[in-house]
Amino acid sequence: MDASLLTIQPASAEPIYRQIVEQLRRLIAGGQLPPGELLPSVRDVAGFHAVNPMTVSRAYSLAESEGLLERLRGKGMAVATTRKTSQTQTQRMALLEPQLSALARQARELELPAGPVVQRLSKLMGE
Amino acid sequence: MNATAQAIAAASAVPLQVRSLTHRYESKVVLDHVDLALEPGSVLGLIGRNGAGKSTLIRAMLGLLEPESGDALVFGEPALKLSDTAKERLGYVPQQPDALAWLTAAQMFDYLSRFYPRWDHRFVKDTMQRWKIEADKVMAKLSPGERQRVDLVRALAPQPELLVLDEPASALDPVARRELLREIALRAGEAGATVLFSTHIVSDLERVASDIAFLHDGRLLLHCPVDETKERYARLWLPANVAAAAPGSPLGKRRHEDGSLSVIVECDANGAWPEASRLPGARVDTLGLEDLFVEIAE
Repeated sequence: MDASLLTIQPASAEPIYRQIVEQLRRLIAGGQLPPGELLPSVRDVAGFHAVNPMTVSRAYSLAESEGLLERLRGKGMAVATTRKTSQTQTQRMALLEPQLSALARQARELELPAGPVVQRLSKLMGE
Repeated sequence: MNATAQAIAAASAVPLQVRSLTHRYESKVVLDHVDLALEPGSVLGLIGRNGAGKSTLIRAMLGLLEPESGDALVFGEPALKLSDTAKERLGYVPQQPDALAWLTAAQMFDYLSRFYPRWDHRFVKDTMQRWKIEADKVMAKLSPGERQRVDLVRALAPQPELLVLDEPASALDPVARRELLREIALRAGEAGATVLFSTHIVSDLERVASDIAFLHDGRLLLHCPVDETKERYARLWLPANVAAAAPGSPLGKRRHEDGSLSVIVECDANGAWPEASRLPGARVDTLGLEDLFVEIAE
């Protein structure tokens, strides 16, 4: 994996370490990062994106503690192999929860009933 | 305490610390009982509006200005009476560098390198080349951006353990700014250097700072880790009909023309926002540092 695969938005209300963990989670869940794939070093990520290396370490440690990554002796971090490659639907669904909550809030603010919103969403998803 | 123990104590001391620092220009209070300490290896971004007292604080922290009251310590030593050993471990870039302007950059580097045992000649050569600055030009003739970068090279070359930068990015274009941030980030990460930099450009700070301190009207309003700041504070907006139920906030409260109210709130230990956020029509917005800064400083 190359450091450029990550996108970092410093001005976002979401702390940078969380942005990194969320992206790793999605890339791994979606299969773009297969098990065993080596991650760029903390230095590479920090240097490429001009962010604090401690932030990157923190993201990696958090991802490791969640079982997304594992530390390989002498090689650095890699996508965990012990974990099942495809997650259950519930797990993948949980990844969408923040976006769904935001959508629900905005729909309420616009006083839109759930029916047409769900219908439109189904259409967007091509169903 | 014997000499070795003293040396160990000095080496492990907090790199930079001020206690109850107060200063006035004529009758105007510019620093009002400021307490601040930097952990070794941290990158502290000092943020504040123009005139908030950032430069005065930095100058007082380094002993370049004698405060009216309070203490400033560098590596545990009084800032006003720094030993040469402490000075060797410190790199400082003022807002408008103008020292030795009659020399060329190459002459200045050559002169200064004799005083610093750890002077990194290779870094100087590589960086000047990368930044395409003519080392043989008299510094007074360089553009402000070039002059600022030469001074950054000058401050980084002795491999300081403590790096203090006053508005380091003010004269730099976006590409040079990004390079500077990368340099700061990697110095802190690998060499374990402690960095203090002041800025009013919040996005610079969000990239590399581990901690943030808000200085407003000479007072330190907030000092905490950047990530925690983003997770702990938010803006609660209340419509006019429930605005009376707003929680008190030491940080910022703004009443809008229609009677609605914005107030900066802090979440509790369980991550829950105050009671008022569950009132009908209430909305909690998480904030980037820039928005938080504007809410607090307005």
